[in-house]
Amino acid sequence: MMLGEILLLAGAVLTLLSALCVARFDDVLLRMHALAKASTTGLLLGSIGAALMLTNANDITTLLLAAALNLLTTPVAANLLSRATYRSQGIATRLEGADLHAGRVNVEPSEAD
Amino acid sequence: METATYTVLLLAAAAFCYRLTVGPTLSDRVIAVNGMLVIGMLAIAAYAAYEGAGAFLPVLVVVSLVGFVSTATIARYIERHG
Repeated sequence: MMLGEILLLAGAVLTLLSALCVARFDDVLLRMHALAKASTTGLLLGSIGAALMLTNANDITTLLLAAALNLLTTPVAANLLSRATYRSQGIATRLEGADLHAGRVNVEPSEAD
Repeated sequence: METATYTVLLLAAAAFCYRLTVGPTLSDRVIAVNGMLVIGMLAIAAYAAYEGAGAFLPVLVVVSLVGFVSTATIARYIERHG
């Protein structure tokens, strides 16, 4: 029971860290990086903690299903959003190191579909 | 421990609210809304765990899937219209 509370609090603290990073960082891709990693881990920890505190099997399986779905969909959503931000014309992004897609930025996205 | 969890979640929601209000681009606002969705899911999980009542837990599954679909849709919008 105590371990569940600790895990729940750890998940909340990780989400607070990701929120502070989202509020503090000065570039769109940096903010997306902070949110995608930290909040996914935070929600996973919190769901496991809540599942440890509950006793009903139905509640536990629902929580674990929600955690697994979030673990599957959040990286995909972050990848879609960061790719769209990178390829859009109006949003300035700053990359460290080599920009491997530098020649392909101006590809019209409407040609893809 | 219960009060600490809810307080931490409230502080995180305040930080996401700041980014939602200030954020210069649409992507920043999408990020902030995603973070607030995660906070809502954690709050529902914490409520269910501390009260021992799991009636709201299917909401977690629905919110997770709807959040993914909405993010994908807005990503397509950003890619087309900048």
